Amino acid sequence: MGTVARDVMDTKFHLLSPETSIAEAVRLFKEAGEREGRRLFGMMVVDGEGSLAGTLSMYDILLVVRPKHIHIWGEMDDLDVTGLVDASCERVRSLLVGDIMTTDVTTITADTHLFMIVDIMLKKHIRRLPVVEDGKILGIVYISDVFYHLLDRFVA
Amino acid sequence: MTVIDNRSVLSGIKVREAMRRQVVRLDRNAPVAQAIRYFIKYKVNALLVVEEDFRAAGVASKTDVMGAYYAGLPLETPLEAILFGPPLFCEEDDTLESALGTMRERGIYRLYVRGEEPDATAGVLAYPDIVGMLYRYCRRCAKNIFRHRKPYDEGDGNCYLKVREIMTPSVKAHGVDETLAQVMEGLSEYRVGAVLVRDRQGRPAGVISKSDLMIAYKHGVPSDTPAGEVMGTPVFSCHREELLARAIQSMIYRDVHRLFVHSGDPGDVAGVFSLSDAARARSGSCRACIPSRIQVE
Repeated sequence: MGTVARDVMDTKFHLLSPETSIAEAVRLFKEAGEREGRRLFGMMVVDGEGSLAGTLSMYDILLVVRPKHIHIWGEMDDLDVTGLVDASCERVRSLLVGDIMTTDVTTITADTHLFMIVDIMLKKHIRRLPVVEDGKILGIVYISDVFYHLLDRFVA
Repeated sequence: MTVIDNRSVLSGIKVREAMRRQVVRLDRNAPVAQAIRYFIKYKVNALLVVEEDFRAAGVASKTDVMGAYYAGLPLETPLEAILFGPPLFCEEDDTLESALGTMRERGIYRLYVRGEEPDATAGVLAYPDIVGMLYRYCRRCAKNIFRHRKPYDEGDGNCYLKVREIMTPSVKAHGVDETLAQVMEGLSEYRVGAVLVRDRQGRPAGVISKSDLMIAYKHGVPSDTPAGEVMGTPVFSCHREELLARAIQSMIYRDVHRLFVHSGDPGDVAGVFSLSDAARARSGSCRACIPSRIQVE
């Protein structure tokens, strides 16, 4: 059983462009998830040269969809909220992936040890880590894959 | 015993009760493009710009970013080139009235709140936070209009503040054919967050806010682009006789900071009412709180 990133990384990763609209990105999330047979909650974003420019996760999108004053009107139990979700999603329509992607991305190399990966994921509350070497994206490591890879050691 | 008729519902309330504890920070070397991403994602109007050791260096607001757009600065420009500083601080135990007084005197829209540790920032206090807190207080009050079982009775109307009493009775507007640069000059001159855009017949066609301009900047839209191509629609408006509480509710619900005010014809806008106006009025939505305050000498 391997103990470094290359042993658990998924090399069938999906990429977005900063110029892609959020609506298109969500469609690509769904399509890629259906192809892989699992729900995707984040994708890597590359610039024109193919270098990692950032990541777009469901959190990035939900932050924008969330109404600014939700902490106030959440108390309005008599409020007619018909159409609220549609209105909220409409506000996102004019935005591009590059407008809301996370650019401060932590990356690992193919030789990063699994426990180092676990440490990074727990400390930074992140679920996926791009594997990058010499500016080239090699794959992506998901927290669920690390978990089940380690778990196999218990049941072996 | 003296009846104090100039005390507001804010009397005695501390900054800690209204402040927001999430402070959005960025390093002073971060590019303007990153600041725009943060403005969009976290829905804030300003960022605390910090040194490498997290000490506060200054504030970068949407106005500063708009200035960078107007000046034609590249999106890679570091924040330190546009920040305004140092930031002004208040304490968690300061009264809201004194904090609002400082904001008014200094012509600023937010104060950062000092933390317990040296050089630490515990939170930020901005007008919308104060309005939000007042709104929650008002909602729980027995006199709240939303607690009335019967439909709103005009006979009780004298008790409740209306939009016309708080609104700014004039509107800054630009034409759809004016350029974004002209709109930015107007926003800077009027010191407002958004302007109305009128069509060629003079009727309200849309709104351009600093947020719209930031996104245009990020998308590489030239500043000589006509306002009509960037403006947001529709124009959210209300009647000047609308109850203040309902207007605030409407803004909160629609995620907007201002409503344009008309006298019956939405095509004839005569004023504007913002969440900041509501905070500056130093009141909730009702007069009941003001005469009930009695000071014993």
